Amino acid sequence: MLGVDVGGTFTDAALIADGELRTAKVRTGERQEESVLAAAAAVGAEELERFTHGTTVATNALLERKGARTAFVATEGFEHLLHLRRQNRAHLYRLCEAHPEPLVQLDDCHGVRERMGPDGVVEPLDLASLATFDAEAVAVCLLFSFRDPSHERAVADEVARRLPSAHVVASHDVSPEFREYERASTTAADAYLGPRLAGYLRALGEHCREAGLPEPLVMRSSGGVATLEEAAAHASWALLSGPAGGVVGAARLAERAGFPDAIAFDMGGTSTDVCLISGGEAERSLERTIAGFAIRLPSVDVHTVGAGGGSIAWVDAGGALRVGPESAGAVPGPACYGLGGRRPTVTDANLLLGRLPPRLADGLDLDAAAAAQALGGLDPADVVRVVNAEMLRALRLVSVERGRDPRDLALVAFGGAGPLHACDLADELGIGTVLVPEAAGVLSAVGLAVGDERRDHVRSEVRPLSEVRSLPSEGTADVRYVGQSFELSVALGPNLAARFHDLHESRYGHADRDRPLELVAVRTADVRRGPALVLPSSGHGTAVGPAVVELGGATCWLPPGWVGVRDGGSWRLTKA
Amino acid sequence: MNIQLQVLGHALRGVAEEMGAALIRSAFSANIKERRDCSTALFDERGRMVAQAEHIPVHLGAMPDAVAAVMEHDPSRKDVFVLNDPFAGGTHLPDLTLVSRTQVGFAVTRAHHADVGGLEPGSMPAASRTLDDEGVVVPPTRIEPGTLEALAVRMRNPDERLGDFRAQLAAHHLAEERVADLCARHGLDGVRAAMDELLAYSERVVRAGIARLPDGRFEATDVLEASEGELVIRATVTIRGEELEADFAGTAPQHDGNLNCPLAVTRSATYFVVRCLTDPDVPASAGAFSPVRVTAPPGSLVNARPGAAVAGGNVETSCRIVDVLFRALGRALPVPAQGQGTMNNVTLGNERFTYYETLGGGQGACPDGDGPSGVHVTMSNTLTTPAEALELAYPLRVRRHSLRRGSGGSGLHRGGDGVVRELEALEACRASILSERRVHAPAGAEGGDDGSPGRNVLNGEELPAKATVDLEPGDVLRIETPGGGGWGAG
Repeated sequence: MLGVDVGGTFTDAALIADGELRTAKVRTGERQEESVLAAAAAVGAEELERFTHGTTVATNALLERKGARTAFVATEGFEHLLHLRRQNRAHLYRLCEAHPEPLVQLDDCHGVRERMGPDGVVEPLDLASLATFDAEAVAVCLLFSFRDPSHERAVADEVARRLPSAHVVASHDVSPEFREYERASTTAADAYLGPRLAGYLRALGEHCREAGLPEPLVMRSSGGVATLEEAAAHASWALLSGPAGGVVGAARLAERAGFPDAIAFDMGGTSTDVCLISGGEAERSLERTIAGFAIRLPSVDVHTVGAGGGSIAWVDAGGALRVGPESAGAVPGPACYGLGGRRPTVTDANLLLGRLPPRLADGLDLDAAAAAQALGGLDPADVVRVVNAEMLRALRLVSVERGRDPRDLALVAFGGAGPLHACDLADELGIGTVLVPEAAGVLSAVGLAVGDERRDHVRSEVRPLSEVRSLPSEGTADVRYVGQSFELSVALGPNLAARFHDLHESRYGHADRDRPLELVAVRTADVRRGPALVLPSSGHGTAVGPAVVELGGATCWLPPGWVGVRDGGSWRLTKA
Repeated sequence: MNIQLQVLGHALRGVAEEMGAALIRSAFSANIKERRDCSTALFDERGRMVAQAEHIPVHLGAMPDAVAAVMEHDPSRKDVFVLNDPFAGGTHLPDLTLVSRTQVGFAVTRAHHADVGGLEPGSMPAASRTLDDEGVVVPPTRIEPGTLEALAVRMRNPDERLGDFRAQLAAHHLAEERVADLCARHGLDGVRAAMDELLAYSERVVRAGIARLPDGRFEATDVLEASEGELVIRATVTIRGEELEADFAGTAPQHDGNLNCPLAVTRSATYFVVRCLTDPDVPASAGAFSPVRVTAPPGSLVNARPGAAVAGGNVETSCRIVDVLFRALGRALPVPAQGQGTMNNVTLGNERFTYYETLGGGQGACPDGDGPSGVHVTMSNTLTTPAEALELAYPLRVRRHSLRRGSGGSGLHRGGDGVVRELEALEACRASILSERRVHAPAGAEGGDDGSPGRNVLNGEELPAKATVDLEPGDVLRIETPGGGGWGAG
């Protein structure tokens, strides 16, 4: 089993073979497919049973606006859906701040005469009303296609006939759910990113064939995987491919340590991802914003904070110390790296507090004098407290605010900076156990190697629950009170209604057991469990805080009062 | 600034935001759940706002009056109060406001309900002349078993009202728990100190921002398009060092229609402008407003006496107050050109359903960029109701929702475009329209062109800025919202 995760600076590989875990790290090059092969070679991959890949190609193409020239087709009168968004402005008080430019230009948005309503056809489809246009990719989103996709399918077929080489995406295929803007936005992103991701995956497939590796499976935002062909067909599903691997790895690590419920805490150089893990599975959300665009797809419910080890500390006009969102990045990096950084970062503060060794595992000597100079009059302990406050908000958001008591959870800390901050955060939240993998720097790749093969399906319903005769036995149902707009996901099975009321009560503090319920969607997944997580059995030790523990690619800080026990491949830190 | 206090300040803001999320996700009115026309906030024991989840600017300066009104009734620890009286802590009647005690202070939720009774379904009548015409007036009232039920039956769709009240109460339970948690962890004194520091911090930031503005006295006027003719709003802004004063002497007396507003709304509009011109990112708290003084003659349009009709004051007059203040300050510093200057309120309903929406338009261009298109420009920031959500719930069909291309004023920077929205009635109902800038176009600035004024059209026939009409099945109401003014000669 091989997992390869491509990040901005490094590409990580994790190989599980003959009951052993091997990991490797190579620099990410210009062409991701070559980095993937280099990482696979570095870890000695051959004769693989399965190869799973986490990619940032789609995410980067969205952030850097390097997708295809895309056209948009909507019901006549709704051509400007992508530009109108939901009419709220980008900033309440900066009046001319702009939302990100839509992925489709206004002149590439076209209407077609037709109309579906909630109960079916209101006006028949007139394909002749669709203008002639040219594009590399086309997103088609007609009103109520989640109810009846026949018009939308016919329009997509017609566009594909007229533009045989274009990548055509119909909204009901991507996100068959109500709310036209969110569905259109998702479909536009899917079309816009499609050709780019497909080209990459094709090249990767060829490279793998030449190297004698099996065709990789691609990690999707939902934590499930897809074949190269499936992944290439719907690029928007890969937008959180990278973070999903980390969360899966954290979930497996926590489960192995006896914690089915945990929080994954992945703190890197410029940003931090946190996610709740429940019953051994990452929590999923149904909608999120990526790079300013609404994406209505199931994804691991990762909450991202724009602060990490490289974030810069500064004092604002009111005299408050702030950290981030500006980061020293990989170049010049923190001042203590001696690569030209002059501004104070979280890493510099950690060094001055004695939480980093004078020399990192990769041989980089840290310059404490440069760190002290960069901090000037700032107290390094204050810098760490401020960045921890940001992290706490995120950790509370995915636990307390979802009705989960953090004291029942373990904190799984990884990423370059996660293990440095984890114990302080656990103290604040009342969390008793922190788990830190030895391979803290490559847990995402490990997650890819051991992740399940999961394929997600969604069926839109939007009808009274009482009218529903049969439901699958496994999966989840999105349910709400008739009249509400937001649903809660309830596991399928007996007493569905009662369990919805209970969940509503625990989430919002009230339930109305006499009010009728509405079934919005049914979500199922085909799952083939991945292999057991294998970690080295050798390597035992203990540490008593205050202590600095060096890990592969990361450093762990145990404050006073914490003790750590290493059991092979991971550390279990507890409050003494 | 003390880091521990800063961290606690974050936590308090987090509580206000969590209250807002709980309210939106469990509400029933389209206006709350889809359009997010609601705000939530925490106050300290002295009734000063310490944290607000910011959804709607017009709620910004108006929520403190709700707490002040409730404090007069000596609320005890477990009490929750409800109110909507614009002259006792409210803004306009549909904004039902709940106030509860927490361990250190108060929690407030304000949500625009789909109906609160009165002359017209939706409770935003175009032609109301007294407050009673607009719905049930609720003075600060302690909620006891049966209180909310008794209120709801006096409104349309009592079942939906109760669902929305429950969603608001859920946010209050949450505030109670979360604030108690914070007190348990950090002590009462710790939380109090954090609240004080939050207020002091916001005040420092805003004082520093006002100090950067040029001192002086600046005047401007603009007009509202009332049914009986134009009504003048006049403002004189005085900046002296770190403080700013806005006086509205010279504004028209309150009128016989519903463009009147309580002083709370006038304060909100003034705070909004100060916020835009000083530090747009300062945390919303009473501290941010303490360097700002707002005065207006009692009995004027912007400081109406109890009993006046106010449905349009909160939504329309508030926009014009912002325009006047920007225009006055534009004599001293660069300000944006005028935006659409209206919320384009459309209310539809009969005895079976009520539906209310407001529409975005063009933002005026700024000195450093084009104005965004199809957005709420000043005192609102509500979302659209998706056509699919609307049609699943109401006997209405959206015929068109598109940009009104070319309606923004040209210039060095272009004003944003307005939008076109057409709604078709599928069963007989009443429609009320409360809009502005149908005659006077949003003005360009520094040589930029004006935006296009808006239009209201029923089956091809022009309607006035304020109108109430009967719709038959198949009738189509078309609203074209104004474009924003351009900035600079193009």
